[in-house]
Amino acid sequence: MTLAIFLVVFAVITLFVILRVTVSRSLRHRNANLPGIEPLDVEAFRNLVNPLENEYLHRRLSSAEFRRVQRERLRAAAAYVRVAGRNATVLVAIGQAALAAGDDKTAEAARQLVDNALLLRRNTSFALLRINLAIAWPSLGSSAAPVVLGYERLNGCAMLLGRLQNPAVPVRISSAS
Amino acid sequence: MLQAHSFLWNYLWVAPNLLVFALGILLWKRGFSRILPLFLAFAILTPIGDLATFLADVIPSVTPETFWRLFWVELLLESMLKFLVIGEVFSRVFSPYPSIGRLGKVLVSGFGAVLVFVAAAMAGFAKGDSVIHIIATAHLLEQTVFIIESGLIIFLFVFAAYFHLSWDRLSFGILFGLGISSCEHLATWAIIANTSPSEHVRTLFAFLNMAAYHAAVLIWFYYLLVPGKAPKKSTIRLPETNLAVWNREVERLLHQ
Repeated sequence: MTLAIFLVVFAVITLFVILRVTVSRSLRHRNANLPGIEPLDVEAFRNLVNPLENEYLHRRLSSAEFRRVQRERLRAAAAYVRVAGRNATVLVAIGQAALAAGDDKTAEAARQLVDNALLLRRNTSFALLRINLAIAWPSLGSSAAPVVLGYERLNGCAMLLGRLQNPAVPVRISSAS
Repeated sequence: MLQAHSFLWNYLWVAPNLLVFALGILLWKRGFSRILPLFLAFAILTPIGDLATFLADVIPSVTPETFWRLFWVELLLESMLKFLVIGEVFSRVFSPYPSIGRLGKVLVSGFGAVLVFVAAAMAGFAKGDSVIHIIATAHLLEQTVFIIESGLIIFLFVFAAYFHLSWDRLSFGILFGLGISSCEHLATWAIIANTSPSEHVRTLFAFLNMAAYHAAVLIWFYYLLVPGKAPKKSTIRLPETNLAVWNREVERLLHQ
């Protein structure tokens, strides 16, 4: 009897998930508005996940103080990683919409954007896992560096797609030459 | 009306099979054999097996033992085809994205292995609902198959939702129909195989199973034959304000 109840509950949860995905898919089709991309200070993020900075702090601080500071730094890094993950999700949606609607060049740029955004989303998931482990054991290290690299690569892809979709809007990548 | 071999019973057993067979033929004529070869095989072969079981049920000369043997063969064939269809949908959804395709394959293989282990353990712990071995094991096999099937389907939905992947209409329709049917079947077979319900309750569950499969067939008709809305051109653009933010971050990087 317990087994039957467990399986019925599992079936109901599965049905609920399927219906929820169906409803959200249909809503997404009707409403093309997406949440905006949240700003992210890449350089501060890079500093937070830099292993050299960690080593420096390890040398300069006592063990107890290092653990406290490192936990704070890891919590801040986790917040950055979450923002990067959310931005990646928005860019997946933007890229997929451009895939269906664009010309060859735009479609190729969109494909690259989607692929890089998915890679970043995947890396943010692993990085968050590592960061949470590192918060418990600060000596482990967070290994969130691939997220910064992925985010920078995504910048390029997003700007290329933006330029191809809307050539009238000047897309500057540097203010000085 | 809600009795075995009533008109509704016969309709619910025969009609969805004829419909899915017709769907298979229609899709084949429209050239879907290149796009969805495994679903096409499922749509054409499964009704043949199911209708053969129906005939074995209504023809008086067929012995109960022969019926249950046929039921076993049909169940194995249908299960194998359904797993192949799920694999086909998985491939259609994830192969355009190499960055997560490999991760998806590894995870779905691992999750599939866990599901097989869990389903086998649950079958081992189940007490069985009949003293006749071939009937009890057939019901346990149904439960096992639907545990694995529902597990794989929920994995695909959750994995795709996590990465916000857009489903193509065909893949979504196939998995949606299969998902609805498998959840309902899992619940009913779990109750039948573990609680030994009365004959009347079994008959009601049989009606429910057939109705759920009928609903799944109608879902497949809708998603596979009714064309979806064409995507609006340039519905989503990179907002200029967002690009400005991104540019500012890149500029900051260049000036370091």
